[in-house]
Amino acid sequence: MSGILVVQEARKDRFFQETLAAGRKLAESTGLTLEAAGVGDSNNDLFVNVTGPPPGGAHAIVHPLLETYTADGFILAFQQLIRKLEPDYIVFPHTYQVRDFVPRLAARFGQVLIGDVTAIEAGPLFVRQLFQGKLSGSYRHQGDGPCFVSIQSGAFRSDSPVGGKTNIFQFVPEIDATQIRTRPGEPFRGSAQTVDLGSAQRIVSVGRGIKDAQNLPLVQELATALGAEIAASRPICDNGWLPMERQVGSSGQTVAPKLYLAIGISGAIQHLVGMKGSQCIVAINKDPDAPIFEVADYGIVGDLFEVVPALTEAVKAAKQ
Amino acid sequence: MALALLSLLGFGWRFGPILTKILQSKKDPGFDLFPIGRRVRDFVWEVLLQAKVIRERPLAGIAHALVFWAFCAFALVTLNHCATIFGPGFLDPAGRVGRLYFDFAALFAVACAVGIVGLFLRRFLARPKWLGEVSWGSGLIALLILVLMVTYLAAFLVPATGTAARALWWAHTLTLLAFLPLIPHTKHLHLVLSPITVFLSRGGFAEIPPLAGDEDFGLVAGKDLTRLVSLQAYSCVECGRCMEHCPANNTGKLLNPKEVVLGLRGYLNDLGPASEEPLLGKYNSQEAAFECTTCGACEFQCPVGIEHLPIIVGLRRGAVNTGTWENDYGAKLFLALERGSNALGMNTSERDKFVEKNALPLFDGTQEYCLWLGCMGAYDPRGREIVVALVRVMRHLGASFGVMRKERCTGDPVRRLGNDLLFQQLAESNLEALAQSKTKKIISICPHCVRTIQEDWKAYGTPPEVEHHSEFLARHMSELSFVSRHDFSRADSAGKSVGALAPEVSRKEKIVFHDPCYLGRYRGVYEEPRKVAALAGELVEAPRSHERSFCCGAGGGLVFLGEEKGERVSEVRAAELAATGASVVGTACPFCNTMFRDAFAEKGEGAPVLMDIAQLAARGLPESK
Amino acid sequence: MKILVAIKQVPERDAPVRIDASAKWIEERELQWAMNEPDAYALEEALLLKEKNGGEVIVVSAGPERVGSTIREALAKGADRGIQIVCDDLSARDALGVARLLAAAIKPENPDLVLTGLQSEDVGLGQTGVIVAELLGLPHATMILHVEKTDSGLKVKRELEEGWFQSIELPTPAVLTMQSGGNKLRYATLMGIKKAKTKELRTVSAAELGVEATPTVTLEQISAPKKQKSTQILPGSAKEAAVALVEKLKTEARVL
Repeated sequence: MSGILVVQEARKDRFFQETLAAGRKLAESTGLTLEAAGVGDSNNDLFVNVTGPPPGGAHAIVHPLLETYTADGFILAFQQLIRKLEPDYIVFPHTYQVRDFVPRLAARFGQVLIGDVTAIEAGPLFVRQLFQGKLSGSYRHQGDGPCFVSIQSGAFRSDSPVGGKTNIFQFVPEIDATQIRTRPGEPFRGSAQTVDLGSAQRIVSVGRGIKDAQNLPLVQELATALGAEIAASRPICDNGWLPMERQVGSSGQTVAPKLYLAIGISGAIQHLVGMKGSQCIVAINKDPDAPIFEVADYGIVGDLFEVVPALTEAVKAAKQ
Repeated sequence: MALALLSLLGFGWRFGPILTKILQSKKDPGFDLFPIGRRVRDFVWEVLLQAKVIRERPLAGIAHALVFWAFCAFALVTLNHCATIFGPGFLDPAGRVGRLYFDFAALFAVACAVGIVGLFLRRFLARPKWLGEVSWGSGLIALLILVLMVTYLAAFLVPATGTAARALWWAHTLTLLAFLPLIPHTKHLHLVLSPITVFLSRGGFAEIPPLAGDEDFGLVAGKDLTRLVSLQAYSCVECGRCMEHCPANNTGKLLNPKEVVLGLRGYLNDLGPASEEPLLGKYNSQEAAFECTTCGACEFQCPVGIEHLPIIVGLRRGAVNTGTWENDYGAKLFLALERGSNALGMNTSERDKFVEKNALPLFDGTQEYCLWLGCMGAYDPRGREIVVALVRVMRHLGASFGVMRKERCTGDPVRRLGNDLLFQQLAESNLEALAQSKTKKIISICPHCVRTIQEDWKAYGTPPEVEHHSEFLARHMSELSFVSRHDFSRADSAGKSVGALAPEVSRKEKIVFHDPCYLGRYRGVYEEPRKVAALAGELVEAPRSHERSFCCGAGGGLVFLGEEKGERVSEVRAAELAATGASVVGTACPFCNTMFRDAFAEKGEGAPVLMDIAQLAARGLPESK
Repeated sequence: MKILVAIKQVPERDAPVRIDASAKWIEERELQWAMNEPDAYALEEALLLKEKNGGEVIVVSAGPERVGSTIREALAKGADRGIQIVCDDLSARDALGVARLLAAAIKPENPDLVLTGLQSEDVGLGQTGVIVAELLGLPHATMILHVEKTDSGLKVKRELEEGWFQSIELPTPAVLTMQSGGNKLRYATLMGIKKAKTKELRTVSAAELGVEATPTVTLEQISAPKKQKSTQILPGSAKEAAVALVEKLKTEARVL
């Protein structure tokens, strides 16, 4: 076939649109045609809600042994599909699942996955981050084999919808049960009893600025809207307004979520050491000189009693 | 005569094993009898003049001193008496010398009797808790001493020959003979040992001895106890001065310095100095050992020369160097310093940003001073304020200085927690960096850095000269102007001083200066920071000040170890400082500053303003802001 | 259990990285080096398994001479012996090339379990461990937080997205890549370092292993990212700032 194969992962529709957008960018610069593939039943709406010009064709990989994800199963399936279609580029979304099986899949073809790509430049050169985001590196694929690429979530904007129909082909790989060596269990949540701030992806943290325990529901609403865990600096826990397990700081927990909102927290060192590893720090404080602003990525200088409700509104609106 | 021999045997029977245990303990590495001058001085001051005994507890101290001096005065009398057991005495009561001496001793006998009665009453009626449980052994000894004195004095009142004299002679003799074997069985062993202990003590304050060779990991088991430690363990008089001043003991924690020493004594008594049983277990608790802030109040007060700090740090070393100390916060601290440059685990780019933002000059080998920021000065918002204030003052004074481009933690918390591996790495890499940068003199805002650089780094090289900023500022007093115009009352409840100069306010603010442990007791610097603080107001003293200053609770690595049990040490001290009625608390250590900041913030309105002496000095500078 | 842990020595996390003259890699001269943190968690898990089930923990690392210090650190923390693959052009190899080196050194050891960190703190491709599994023909699992030995092999706890977890059972021998934070790292002790002095540290060169280095993916150029990290204060009324913040979090920071 040659061309570019964009892979879809189940229940990751928005990511698929972004991956398609990346695929299209690649198609532009290479002049190759675009097709899609994914594991799942051809009768479900896997490929129906495609935005932008539809891919030339879509391949639904169907097999009972693929109903539950296993690395062995997926590698065998894709390996066979790739051998059949012989694409030049295979573009994946950079998900935990992809990180689990695609490196091995690529190795089977003597290739290395260029993962977590944030931009595609002329060449094509694939850009990704190095050294914890301190530097960027441009990678080039060498040789004749297929090039495996995975795209970072949010790096490419999904295009606006354009109507069209895609031809869906079913592909049934040959997989034997003995070839699947791992037995995965059902996914489960962490224990509901204990507060595990350490693994929370989003945290809304409250400090002395909240003034009184009865103002906490304000912040709780924001946390709920964001799907975040609530945490606090030491004085709040000392006063008993929140349990000690929710304390972030040198005498409490150390956290590193994707998003940390520090509300009414001044940023004393004892608190900073507990949250400075957060990916994105937002500070809301009425004191423009509060030290927390030094470490924040975004800040709002204002009265939290006004800002927090406004933020809750804005978050809810954005979810629509 | 037979009795005399029995008495001697009794003494030897108990004393012998103790002496053996002490001598069988391993030798102290790096111990040097010379310079002997210091030892003699300490001996005269602490033993002969009973300085520490009296100073700390004046009334009881003087009573004890009288008893002690009486013992000394009686030396010849007692020897003479013993001689009379076997034959004639060598001091003739009829002769002039003899007469003079016996009368002289009589004076002391009276003093001693008064003293011992007083002490008896204190122990059995007043019962201060420092002395622990009521000790009948002590009562017995007190009685024996009283009897000795009374029999001696009574002998003046009866004719020299005759049944009365004979009876008194026998009473005196029997008491003596009973007394002798009792000495090693009770804490009165200090009669024999403590003068030696004081004489042989290490000399420095809170000195942590070097490890001796590849197999030495600190005080792990009995076989690691050195002669000095064993000697000290047997010298403890159980007076409780250490416990009385211990911040941990005063706030409901397990740690009791007296029990640490007695725990070692118990271990030695039961298991001996060659045992492989861990020291931290039945006789001493690991939890207690890690509650110590290393404030040094215990060692400072001890009248018999026990050095508690090397013991406690030694016990910690034994646990940490062998990996048997399992503590999440401790591991986090060690890992942060294994992989990074500072104890707080902060990114060095934060320090770079701070240096750049405040346009601090970089040290390039040409300036006179290297201004050492330390972890707190570089990363803590309060510490940074202190640095900025000091820099303003130094610029005003025209001092030439620069800050290092990169710093690694001096290793103070690591050293006090007993991690020798990590400390060595930190000390060596710092010494190399400083040597390369040609640093000759360092000024630091943190007494912990000062102590670690000057003393603890010596084990790994030759550190540059280092002083605390209070010492530097005190030298330049004439150039720093008196500040009478500042209105410290305009401060917010977080202890942050706001408000510009209030030109019309002429009343003096009351400032209470808190002596940091590592500046005061460790370094003996008490007046210099006060001179600087006095620039800004009228000084008042906290009830416990100078060498009795009560710790803020951060030292010994404890500030990195998470929440403490019982009351918070910082809150106790903060309350004490606030109760002086001062509107400003002067500090000279960024750790004290941070600890009190939290404690005062709890109080809310009405709490005193916290200012480092650098900030107090900066207030007097002509420029605004 | 014979456990083999593959560790990588990376620049200290805190280190300021500067692009070198060729613009293909970073200036290494003034850097401080440390053990890659996910590998440290892998090592810790291996040591815990050894403490529980007995056996041996061997560490292997590829790189220039300086890598020896990181292997010794692993020995000090409790590993039994180390293998150093001396290789001066590590950064010029792609993940497959590095995995080939590791697999060649690991294969003769015949371990029950191979552990390595999920990804490295420098390049962060997160593939070397998985590729090693392929080269050794062993089953694998990634993002593992916890490992338990069972009668039939292993039971592991895997991290999924959005705060979900999953248990996986697999036979030994197997390869696992470990996520950070699954256990508590131990600190290096003086006693550990002293014991490490007597432990075996074998060196072998890349040439001896017979692995060549032609990469299929090359790093052409390194550059500094366009935007520098600085605090953005969002102006306006509470409402305006709130809306602007949400927009930034969605599109710029991409955390919503």
